[in-house]
Amino acid sequence: MIKMDGIVKKFGTQTVLSDVSFEAKQGEIFGLLGRSGAGKTTIINILTNQLKPDSGSHKISVSSYETGLMLDEDGLYDRLTCLDNLHVFADIYGIPHKNSSEVLEKVGLENAAKKAVSQLSKGMRQRLALARAILHKPKVLFLDEPTSGLDPNTAQGIHKLIQGLQKQGTTIFLTTHNMDEAVKLCNHVLLLHKGKIVEQGIPTEICERHNATKTVPDLEAVFIKMTGEGLS
Amino acid sequence: MRSVKAIFVKQAKDMTKNFSVLIMFVIFPLVAFGMTHFVARGNDDIADTMFTTMMAGIFVGMALIQSACTIIAEDREKKSLRFLVIAGVKPLAYLLGIGGVIFVASLLSSLAFGYIGGFNRNEFVAFMVVMMSGAVASIILGATIGIYAKNQQAATGLSMPIAVILGFSPMIAQFNERIEILARFVYTQQINVVVNDFSAGLTQPLVVIWLNIAVLAVLFIAAYAKKGLRS
Ligand SMILES: Nc1ncnc2c1ncn2[C@@H]1O[C@H](COP(=O)(O)OP(=O)(O)OP(=O)(O)O)[C@@H](O)[C@H]1O
Ligand SMILES: [Mg+2]
Repeated sequence: MIKMDGIVKKFGTQTVLSDVSFEAKQGEIFGLLGRSGAGKTTIINILTNQLKPDSGSHKISVSSYETGLMLDEDGLYDRLTCLDNLHVFADIYGIPHKNSSEVLEKVGLENAAKKAVSQLSKGMRQRLALARAILHKPKVLFLDEPTSGLDPNTAQGIHKLIQGLQKQGTTIFLTTHNMDEAVKLCNHVLLLHKGKIVEQGIPTEICERHNATKTVPDLEAVFIKMTGEGLS
Repeated sequence: MRSVKAIFVKQAKDMTKNFSVLIMFVIFPLVAFGMTHFVARGNDDIADTMFTTMMAGIFVGMALIQSACTIIAEDREKKSLRFLVIAGVKPLAYLLGIGGVIFVASLLSSLAFGYIGGFNRNEFVAFMVVMMSGAVASIILGATIGIYAKNQQAATGLSMPIAVILGFSPMIAQFNERIEILARFVYTQQINVVVNDFSAGLTQPLVVIWLNIAVLAVLFIAAYAKKGLRS
């Protein structure tokens, strides 16, 4: 569904990604784990054609119309209401306005429909950004740190939404630096450190492979073992 | 076409809530109205239309450049534009949508100016034609600066001096012959030429204004090719 092969990306003299290869299968929640600056956002930017790699190839097997995107910056229109923000994109995609209301309900923002975005909390903004990403029912969804900076409860709500989307057949590609989130949500994870893949596979299997299952699978321990550094 | 309409609607809604932009479309006609009624009408030495034409010139040369520029710079800085581009909105569609709203808003302001000026029918038509041609030039210029500037702050920093020079050059030109000769090639000066003396005819000023538009369009395309709409 999503494939990268030997991707190298440099910014000036700094090599941000070196020889990154992986494949995410249809219907999976695929997690990209790494510390700040590891190159996670850069990978999303390359996959969504916002950045050109220096070498290597990449492919998504659906059209760009069928992909949804939530970036670290939400790009919402502060002065417009939640509903109007979604209507802009409904109009661009040529889909009926009632879809905007439906998707608002899905993310639990139906009571804030007429509120200006500038009056929303961070968690509400995040959910609205997610609503915009899924408005046109994409087959592939890219989420760049969808729960960063949110309290556990709000993050939980977003997790439920992501799992719900997977049940409907959406392939989800997400980045995170939260190990628990990765273990809980992802079918497949990729540990990225300073632009290099240090490990990848099914979370529980990775942990077993590295004898990092104490009471629960401990991805953090694997990460420290592989890189000599903690996550935060 | 669908995208143009989507952006137009978004911008129209946004404009009604964007006080710092909206005020520019209101304040200049308002000042013209006040000055005309309370100063010009009671003073035989001042032509009744003087403040209208002065304010209309500053409005086109300054306010329009500023608003086009800040709107685009804001969309870029807040990364809203990115999501449009990803959703498949083409640059031209974006600019037509944004520019369209500014154009309609300046049409309304110009109608207000036209009414305040108390022109006769022919003068009114000439006034509107020359104002709206100037509006096109200023919107393109503002958009160019908006694309070129790093962020909103830089956009204001860049557009302010340019807008002041363009907006006020007709006034300065009245006092300095050399500036006046230079200013003749600039569209804001030509707007003034027309509105200060309707009997002088429209042809030559319109040619200059549309030549300006052609040059600005080239500048705009160059800025776009260099910077793109991506942030
Ligand atoms: N446009 C750019 N120009 C120069 N360097 C860049 C650019 N974008 C990213 N970088 C650098 O590339 C590296 C990877 O950045 P990236 O944003 O992909 O990291 P990340 O894993 O998403 O981090 P975070 O968790 O903080 O979002 C960083 O060192 C960053 O400084
Ligand atoms: Mg990032």
